[in-house]
Formats: sequence, structure tokens, C-alpha cells
Amino acid sequence: MSEFELLRNITIGQYLPTASYLHRLDPRAKIVAALLLTVAVSFTPTVLGNLCLLAACAGLVWLGRIPPSYALRGLVPALPFLVILAVLQLLFFGRNYDPASPVIFQWGWIVVTAAVARLVVVSAARFVELLAVTSVFTLSTRTTELTRGIETLLRPFRRLRVPSHELALVATIAVRFIPTFALEAERLLKAQASRGGRLRGGRWNFVASARRLLPILVPLFTYALKRGEELIVAMEARAYTGGEGRTAYTVLRSTWRDWLAPLATLAFSFFILRAPFPF
Amino acid sequence: MPSTVDSAGSRAPLLMVEDLWHTYMIGTPFEQLALRGVTLQVFPGEVVGIIGQTGSGKSTLIQYFNGLMRPVRGRVIVAGHDLGDPRVDIVAIRQTVGVVFQEPESQVFERLVGDDVAYGPRQLGLALPEIRDRVRWAMELVGLSFEAFKDRYTFTLSAGELRKAALAGVLAMRPRVLVLDEPTAGLDPGSRDELRARLDALRVREHLTLVLVSHDMDEVARRGDRLYVLHRGAMVASGTPQEVFRAGARLEDLGLALPEAAQVLGRLRERGYPVSTDGLSIDEAEHALAALLEGAA
Repeated sequence: MSEFELLRNITIGQYLPTASYLHRLDPRAKIVAALLLTVAVSFTPTVLGNLCLLAACAGLVWLGRIPPSYALRGLVPALPFLVILAVLQLLFFGRNYDPASPVIFQWGWIVVTAAVARLVVVSAARFVELLAVTSVFTLSTRTTELTRGIETLLRPFRRLRVPSHELALVATIAVRFIPTFALEAERLLKAQASRGGRLRGGRWNFVASARRLLPILVPLFTYALKRGEELIVAMEARAYTGGEGRTAYTVLRSTWRDWLAPLATLAFSFFILRAPFPF
Repeated sequence: MPSTVDSAGSRAPLLMVEDLWHTYMIGTPFEQLALRGVTLQVFPGEVVGIIGQTGSGKSTLIQYFNGLMRPVRGRVIVAGHDLGDPRVDIVAIRQTVGVVFQEPESQVFERLVGDDVAYGPRQLGLALPEIRDRVRWAMELVGLSFEAFKDRYTFTLSAGELRKAALAGVLAMRPRVLVLDEPTAGLDPGSRDELRARLDALRVREHLTLVLVSHDMDEVARRGDRLYVLHRGAMVASGTPQEVFRAGARLEDLGLALPEAAQVLGRLRERGYPVSTDGLSIDEAEHALAALLEGAA
């Protein structure tokens, strides 16, 4: 066990090759489906609707043949924030949020209405759902597939001077660098701890704990800039000129299976957003 | 098992690792076994070399030496502190064992060299004069003049100077054991030789116990009193350099090249020349060759 193993808890940006249906799916279809699901998650205000979404997420994890424990691991670092958020909502929303809602709990000045209770449950569920969707998406999509997918999806907007290839590249690099930076941060944490650095503690004093992290943040920024420069040089050395006239080794070709996913997601999202859930 | 403990006598080991196992990313699909039952000891005042290829588990192993990792299976005892104990005094352990990781220059974060070297001592809450003394001592030891370098901007330093500054930052904690992971990798030959000489001086003048970790036989062969050879997470050989290198063919099977001098002597012997194969350094090889030539003349 190590208090420093950061990468263990980061599921976003990793690729987990299991060759499932989701892995073989056309990246364009996957991006569209993921976006539709994100919209559905963001605009579903009911508890029942969110239960349906949670079930759908579990189904996705199963479909992608991702070990459930691994899919949930990304939650671990976010748990304290979720708890703090829930406590704040319960303590301070009171009657301000939807005053018409019936009071279900009262103790001194703490008032919890049905609407607030629902909000707490829904916002926690939303977080889990968003994390599941993004995790499953990145765990089942190679970065090259992601770039190609974004690029082709944005191509119709080129008339409006949207630089589709460049945008896709930026997104890809951003996602690709998350685990890289996590590893580097881990390395720096260990190095500073080895020369007497005390980087933990003082959890509630935010200024002090931010200062404590400077020995990690400063070198991490330097590292990010260096990596960026190296990448530029490497791209220039390979005469990279952007998307114009570029061909691909594998040509994306959609079959009916690839159409199935976004259409099914569309139907599902439509149902979730339109269904008259009682609560 | 250490076969000879000549310099150390019967004193208690400073570092003791017993049947240590380590798995990375445990509980995820990326699980990977990095250490399989490693056992080793480091006695006060000796220089121990740990050799292994990339991915042999060297860098994982040294993270146990100062409690960056806690053993799940196996035992690690540092100067009497058992790392398996959850209430172990981790600060005391990190003060006893200083670890310099690969490319330590990336850990330099302050603007001024002196401030960066002082980071560790300041964290200990020492008094200012004491911090100053330690910084001066550490900087002079690695060959950065305190007066000339303490107010230099860190980004104006050369790669070799920056590595020395990082080393001084660890030394300023006044550890009893210094662990160095590939200390000379990526340096130009001049800085490399200088750093090696500084490390030798550390041992002689400051009686520091050294653990040198490298994939390069030439790097550790000459300095180590004892060597450990790691291969795929397991300890495959240990003993004095002569003992380890006598098993030359087997080491080569593991993908580890012998020191160049030893290779030359070994090949001469294969061709039937009566030459001692105990030589590990260029000087020793020179003596062996001279003896051979004089005998032939």
C-alpha cells in the first residue's frame, strides 16, 4: 500500500483493452451517444429518472466488460467533496429552495424540505453518472480513435471556419496527458517527501495547504511546459501541418451496429427526459 | 544472502528487507507484480550496489527504504523502525534514509539555490543558524560553493549543477544512509566523473552509508562493497563484486553486461591466457594484463 499511488484512483484518460462491443464501436457513434447521455444526466431532475440512468450506467460498465470495482474507483478521491456538498445543501438551502415544498425534517434552524432532499440525492447521482459515462468512454476509446471521431464529427462545421482537426487534436492531447501528469505528480510527491517535505495535514487551512503544495505545483508546471515544447518539436520534426490533405491508415466505416448505439441512446434519453416520473 | 560482511562485522543492519513482495495498481486490471520475495541488508558504513535492468524492481525497492511505501507482504526495518507498524515514526525514517531519485533536478522548485537546499531543514522547524550551517555543509559537500551559489537563480544552473543542488537538498537532512537511483544518468562525462568522486568523498569523509542503484555494472562494480542483482523483481545474486561477477555467463543470460574490464579479462581467459578474472576496474585489468605480458616475455 502506498499513500502516493495517485494513478490507482484515476480512471479518466486510461484505456482498458477488453475488446468489448463498446471498444469496437465506431468512435463517432460513441461520442454522439456519450453526449446524448450527458445531456440526459444534466436535465433529469427526478429521483426515479436518475435511478434509470444509474441502471443504464451499470449496463454500460457491463457492456464494456470493465470490472465494476475499477469503474467506481474514480469516485474515491471525489467522495469528500460529494459529502461536503450534500451537507452544505442540507444545512443551508432550507426554505429558500422551492418554498412550496413540504418540510420533512426540522431541528432548530435546520430545515430540510422534500425538494432539498431530492436535490441532494439527484446531484450525488448525477456526479456518479457523469463519472461513469466519461470513464466508460475513455476506458473503451483509444486516443487516436477519439481524435478521428471528433474531427469527422466537426467536419460539417468547417464552412463556419471551425478548425475541426486542431480542436480534435487539442482535446486528445488534453485527455492523453492526464495520466502522464498524475504519474509526474506522484514522482514529485515522493521526491519532496524524501527530503523532508510535509505535504499533507492542515486540511482545513486552505491557504496553508495550497502553499504546502507549491513544491509539487511549481515543478509540475515546468514539466507540463517542457512536455508541451517537446511535443511541438516532435510534431514539427515530422512535418506536421494539421488536417489538410491528411489520410488515415484505418478508414472509419459504420455498420448497422454502429448506428444502433446512438439511436438506442437517443431513444433512451428522450424517454428519460419526457417520461412523467412521479418523484 | 550476504556471504561476506567484512567491513560491517557483526553490527546490526541499518536497513533490513525480508521476503518483500510488491504489486502495483492492486485491485485494478493493471495489476503488476514488481517485487517477489526480496531480501537484503545494508550495514552501517558500507557501500551497497543494487543492479538490475529497467523494470527489474530497483526503483520500487528503494521506495521502501524511506517509507514511501509500506510493506503488505514481507518486512522492512529501517534503523530499528518496523515499517509494517502503522504508528511507525515516518519522519525519523525519512531523516535516517535520504533517497535521491532519478533525475532529481526536477524536484528543485525554489527560485534561489540556497532556498531550495534549505527546504528540508526548514520543514524540520530548525533554527535559522542551524539551517544555514546545514545548507553550507551540504552545498560544499557536493561541490557548490555556498557563497557563490546560494543566491543564484536555479534556472541559470547547468544540468550538472542542478543535479548537485538537488543532491544537496537531500544531504541537508543529514541522513545516515544515502540512496541514489542512477545518480550519473544523463550527465556529461566530466560532471559524471566529478559526481562519482564526490560520492566517494562522502563515504570517506562523512562515513555515510551508500546504496547505489543502477543498470550499469561499470557504475556500481568499483564502488560497492557488496552487490545485489535484481531480475524481474527477484534477487538472483548477491555478494562481493568478485563473487557476483565470477558468475559472468549467468549474468549475461539475464541481460546484464559485465564491467568492460571484466569482459576483456574473461574473454582472454576463454582463449586460454592465464589471467586473473577478479579485475573489475580499468586499473585492475591493467595490472592483470601487465602481469600476463611480463609472464609471457
